[in-house]
Amino acid sequence: MPELPGTPGQADLLDQVLGLKTGDFLSELRRLRPEFVDGAEICRHAVLSPARDQGLPQGLRLALAARMARLNRDDALTAIYDQGLKNVGPDGLQAKIATGNTPEHADILLAAILRHCDLITLDPRHAAKSDIEHLAAAGLTNPQIVALSELIAFVNFQTRITAGLRLLGVRG
Amino acid sequence: MKMPRIRLKSLDWHPYIEPVEIASATAEQLSAMKVTPSGGKISSYVRTLAHDPESYLARTELFNTIMYVEGGLRQQDRELGALGASLQNGCRYCSVVHAQRQAKHAGSSDTIAAIMQEREDALSPRDAAILTFARALSVTPPEANAKHIAELREVGMDDLEILDLIHAIAIFGWANRLMHVLGHAETKAGA
Repeated sequence: MPELPGTPGQADLLDQVLGLKTGDFLSELRRLRPEFVDGAEICRHAVLSPARDQGLPQGLRLALAARMARLNRDDALTAIYDQGLKNVGPDGLQAKIATGNTPEHADILLAAILRHCDLITLDPRHAAKSDIEHLAAAGLTNPQIVALSELIAFVNFQTRITAGLRLLGVRG
Repeated sequence: MKMPRIRLKSLDWHPYIEPVEIASATAEQLSAMKVTPSGGKISSYVRTLAHDPESYLARTELFNTIMYVEGGLRQQDRELGALGASLQNGCRYCSVVHAQRQAKHAGSSDTIAAIMQEREDALSPRDAAILTFARALSVTPPEANAKHIAELREVGMDDLEILDLIHAIAIFGWANRLMHVLGHAETKAGA
């Protein structure tokens, strides 16, 4: 995972996803809101490499991020998360999860996490109390339910930023 | 077009999981919730998210800067972007709160009346462009396209304003997936 930018104006993860270099129109425009740039990076660390992982390891988090980037059909963001996952050395299950599969030998806990990621990414409107009860019944603790929800919501935030910025970057 | 004035009833939010209790919270959770000895009641939403204090703190700071940073997009337009995302994502609580705020900052309930009564033909071109873009960007995968951006430019929005709008919509792609997923809204008792 790239480290937090140490100097103002340094390329961050979204610059990488968008293929931006210092001085590019979109890169300069983003720097008019340095609070947004830095805030998104701090959030990324908080959901993907937190100080306390709540028993949801970084490999699983990266695999889920790649899976959700795929559901959003964001190829560049997917590639970044695939690479991040490769860097931490995924187990076989995590590599499968990232591609969007639900492995047959996934245990109840993992199956519940995958189901929830897909549902809340694709169709948040139809989220119901029973979906949270399903996570709890599969063995997720309340801190894990909240941490998972924040991770899912973050990747869906990020894919709206990348989609919007790509459109804004087309100068007509 | 002049719409009949409307007032939306405020809602209460109830979590599906047990929130953190202040009495048994860790120092990190208390700090994230900004609990002070003289402070008021901490909402059940904040106490629910405090189960994971690091992400709560990081997201709250980003949310506040995106929604309230000075300059750029007008507050009523940020609220309209938030409303469009919340309607698309089905978050009833967020929809009511940000509809109320849009009306407050606009000094008129015309925009939210047109939206809530499905009279989107009555929206100004600016409001219609913002709402349409917010909905399209919020779908998975996002369906926003160059025409939406062209419409925002046609109603006079500059690059910084569109950047602000994208962020306001995106941060509700986040907030809606917490508020609508981790709990549900009910009409306030006695309202």
